[in-house]
Amino acid sequence: MNAVVRYLRDVFSGAWSLAMGMSVTLRYMFKPVSTVQYPREAMPLPEVYRGHIELRRFAETGSHGCVACGECFRICPSGVIKVQGLKEEADRPNRAVFYFIDFSRCSLCGLCVEVCPESALAFSKVYEEVGVSRYSTVVDLIARLESQGA
Amino acid sequence: MLRKTLTEDSFYLNLGPQHPSTHGVLHLLLKLDGERILECKPLVGYSHRAHEHMGQNRTYLQFLPNTSRMDYLGGLCYNHAYCLAVEKACGIEVPERARYIRTVCAELNRISSHLLWFGAYLMDLGAFTPFLYAFDDREDILAILGEVTGSRLTYSYCRFGGVNRDLNQNFLDGTKAFIPKLRKRLKDYRTLVTKNIIFLNRTKGIGTVSAELARDWALTGPNLRACGVAYDLRRAEPYSIYPELEFEIPTATAGDCYDRYWVRMAEMEQSLRIVEQALGRLPEGPVKAAGVPQWIQPPAGDYHFSYESPRGHLGIYFVSDGGRVPLRMKWRTPSFSNLSILSEILPGTLVADTIAILGSIDVVIPEIDR
Repeated sequence: MNAVVRYLRDVFSGAWSLAMGMSVTLRYMFKPVSTVQYPREAMPLPEVYRGHIELRRFAETGSHGCVACGECFRICPSGVIKVQGLKEEADRPNRAVFYFIDFSRCSLCGLCVEVCPESALAFSKVYEEVGVSRYSTVVDLIARLESQGA
Repeated sequence: MLRKTLTEDSFYLNLGPQHPSTHGVLHLLLKLDGERILECKPLVGYSHRAHEHMGQNRTYLQFLPNTSRMDYLGGLCYNHAYCLAVEKACGIEVPERARYIRTVCAELNRISSHLLWFGAYLMDLGAFTPFLYAFDDREDILAILGEVTGSRLTYSYCRFGGVNRDLNQNFLDGTKAFIPKLRKRLKDYRTLVTKNIIFLNRTKGIGTVSAELARDWALTGPNLRACGVAYDLRRAEPYSIYPELEFEIPTATAGDCYDRYWVRMAEMEQSLRIVEQALGRLPEGPVKAAGVPQWIQPPAGDYHFSYESPRGHLGIYFVSDGGRVPLRMKWRTPSFSNLSILSEILPGTLVADTIAILGSIDVVIPEIDR
């Protein structure tokens, strides 16, 4: 007799626990949807979002402020950055004429942005990076800045 | 998949390296007699990326982004641990505010790691709904942390002597709204999962580990606390601001899958308490110590630091010769020891229980292999 009672109690308490669980699920069914329909809707990006780096445009000069000191190149853990400067005028600092990053090896740590003495670098907000070959991950930052217009 | 052996009764089954419930490339070689397991051999190393060796050929600061890639679920905890280790070696004093910020972020990271485990574990056991709820909650944490770190998974947020960026209003508001929301959600999880009869039958009394066995196999973290040993490095070897905070170390007694589940759920509540307290007393001041050199050079010698990561005892050991690059870098990651116990507790159980046990010890494969 005892065994039967215990068995029935187990069955009922088990069924009750499942019903309670179902009630939670049902309650959530009528709550607002939390999914974002990604390609049609975009998530808001935080202000400090770290995409690949880009050269900042300075309003005074209308161009970038990189002096090709090579600090970013030296601190980069993965050797992503290649930068070359040219001395255009004798009494002015160097000016970068060549700034390439290989984004495929970048770990987005942001050490380059932190270390830049001229604050010439910033993070872009690019996150949709698709290419057909690994060469398409190489970004010419100076050309990118120029193509964005003044 | 199947390989017949000499004796007709037993055969080998390869669980993994690509089985969906192994959460990564883990290979379990099981020797079976029908459904019963006779022997289990975890084979690791499929996602070995030589992080320790990378640490030996780059400077201390350059190694920082690597740390969050070992355990991708507890990236901020690993950042924090590495910075604490190097700061201990160099004797860098961290400003009060930075210590609070780091703790808040690390605890949020711990909650997100446990939430992902919770979802994935129940998915292994065949429940799909909690997975979606857990990811919904985890999404909130990732958005909050993204507001201040700029990234969602590999944060690289801590720096030697502080943190990269001060907290902003979005972070503070988001966390304040999140704490009561998760408390309510944890109540729902209790109704939905913890009392669920199917879940109880699949986890109670399965994969029992005694306290002695756990100590023998160097089990740490929630897995050890589920066996009844109240050992938490945040209390045993306190670091950062943990001595100033009030929180309990949840422990269970039986050491089975259910207890490991229960301890993690209780830990989330404690982490919420820590976040609440730390944010309540957040002091003003700088977030980064002044005068920390870019190329840090710890004095010659060897250093060790222990940290309570979401999965257990994380030990960082490095030898410095006084130069910019460490001579030797060694990471003792908790998942590796936690995984090894499988060969002890799996024999005698059924294949279906293997999934429950493997899930309950919460291994992160890239952390095992490093």
